[in-house]
Amino acid sequence: MIWRSFESEWVKMRRRRLWYGSYLAITGVVLLTTIVTIAGALHHANDRGDLTLAQLAHATGLSQGLMQSGILLGAVSFSIAAFQFGGEFSHGTLRNLLVRQPRRSVLMTGKCLAVLTFLVGAVMVAAIVGLCAAFAMAHLRSVPTSAWTSGVGMGDLGIVLGDLAISTCGFAIIGMIAGVLLRSSVIAIAAGLAVLLPVETIVTDAVPGAARWLPAQLLEAIAQGGSTGASFRAALITMSAYLAGAVVITMLVFVRRDVTA
Amino acid sequence: MHVAALATEPVTRAIGQRTDCYAVVTRGLTKRFGKRLAVDGLDLVIPAGSISGFVGQNGAGKTTTIRMLLGLIRPTAGRGTVLGHPLGRSRAYLPRVGALIEGPTFYPALSGRENLMVLARLSGIDNRRVDAALERVGLGTRGLDPFRTYSLGMRQRLGIAAALLPGPELLVLDEPTNGLDPQGIAEIRAMLRSFADEGMTVFVSSHLLAEIQQICEHLVVIETGRLLFQGGVEELLAARAPELIVRTENQNHAKRLLQLVMGTGRSARIVGDNESTTLEVLADCSWAADLNRLAMANGITLVHLAERRSTLEEAFFEITRVSANQGIQGSDPARGAGGADGGTKAWSERPGRP
Repeated sequence: MIWRSFESEWVKMRRRRLWYGSYLAITGVVLLTTIVTIAGALHHANDRGDLTLAQLAHATGLSQGLMQSGILLGAVSFSIAAFQFGGEFSHGTLRNLLVRQPRRSVLMTGKCLAVLTFLVGAVMVAAIVGLCAAFAMAHLRSVPTSAWTSGVGMGDLGIVLGDLAISTCGFAIIGMIAGVLLRSSVIAIAAGLAVLLPVETIVTDAVPGAARWLPAQLLEAIAQGGSTGASFRAALITMSAYLAGAVVITMLVFVRRDVTA
Repeated sequence: MHVAALATEPVTRAIGQRTDCYAVVTRGLTKRFGKRLAVDGLDLVIPAGSISGFVGQNGAGKTTTIRMLLGLIRPTAGRGTVLGHPLGRSRAYLPRVGALIEGPTFYPALSGRENLMVLARLSGIDNRRVDAALERVGLGTRGLDPFRTYSLGMRQRLGIAAALLPGPELLVLDEPTNGLDPQGIAEIRAMLRSFADEGMTVFVSSHLLAEIQQICEHLVVIETGRLLFQGGVEELLAARAPELIVRTENQNHAKRLLQLVMGTGRSARIVGDNESTTLEVLADCSWAADLNRLAMANGITLVHLAERRSTLEEAFFEITRVSANQGIQGSDPARGAGGADGGTKAWSERPGRP
């Protein structure tokens, strides 16, 4: 049953415009952060602890650009997921789907898995392009890359990709929740991005320790393998609890709410 | 009792009749949105294998009723069965139901075929069924074009194709002819007839009363969420007193004939202005010969004498007018007591003339 719902959603997501648009946006984000990160690396360390060329030459240097792309990738993933779910209400297509699949939880789970696989696939493709760009930029800035291809370097890259995938899925699930609860893709994207980006940033700056409990800050911490505001482990546990609670509430609302759209 | 429990309780016992003769049976079906009562104690009976019309003004509760039948909206109260299964267990009957609800809504960027594939995949329906449905509604050659390029008629047909995907026993169509030109309406009409010929039960809501009259055998009329009539279309039309239309040679004859007819105790009136020569006489065609003799005996020459069959539109307006009058007078409006066996009190006890 969930597989059917998954397959059905993939019929929608196979359309070229969505495919190209999403993959290009995500690849663009990764390319941008990779180029900016390596181009901005300093020759000498400063007081703020900004990235230096010497640090880039370490085994972890390859994944530095990817790690910085977490919040932007999250924003794109959030928007795509909110569009996919909110659009069912905005277009009025949800009623057609529910007549053919009355088990609402099954429909939602299948759709959710389809969107997550789509986004994780896009992140992986973007990562490959980003890594190629990282090697090109390293050459331009004369950064030695022998450590990048070592076993340690590859292991670190695998961990960063995993963290990035978890963070992307987290943002996407928040996007789906916003789409279902607000029943409009436009409102969900506008309200969601406003809260996740500027509002959270302002609150984080204004309230000490806010990064330990604000969702976007936690997901960014996960993407970066931990941040100054929250450790990776704490961020993962807190975010998992948030998402589990929110998914259960959203599922209950979705299952019980009248479909008038 | 909890609403969900009400909705899943078999309706057979409550109504006291076999549900296998009926595709849809509801008892006291009610939906309230906040303070607004959208559907009020609806007792619906749709005979299996028929084309049933669902008629009511905008906001009468048609779409809300249809959504409740399809499990999209939870009833506030009442119970019912669709294809023999309780309303609350829509997953048991929806695989055998096709529906077009409130106009065709699809993904604009996907082709007609892809849109149907999205729905087909959900129910595990074969791709060949998708192509067959497109062919069936005449979209075989346009199936690969994006939905956004479709005309209104093509969109309606794609909606019907989507409803046909599961090979349904019950087809629920909400305003399938909305916005169509006469040619498109005729095509949809022919299509609905062919579905019924194949044994499907078709439940179709429409504002186009002339269309409903042409294709439906059974009719449900609701207003402000309440049932005003359900039964055979012919039964509804026959319940309205027939009229004879008479035209005399001149205006004086018309006035004299009016007096003569009134003298027999029948209702009659001159139609139109003072110059008119046309009379409407409340009588069926069996009295036409007597009327002709009466005129001849009094030296009145008739140039036209015919029975006038009432239209569904007239019947609809009268039925809703009677209901409104009863509402104004403070009495309980007719509640459709006739069920599947006959029309409602609202119609049979209507006043003699408008």
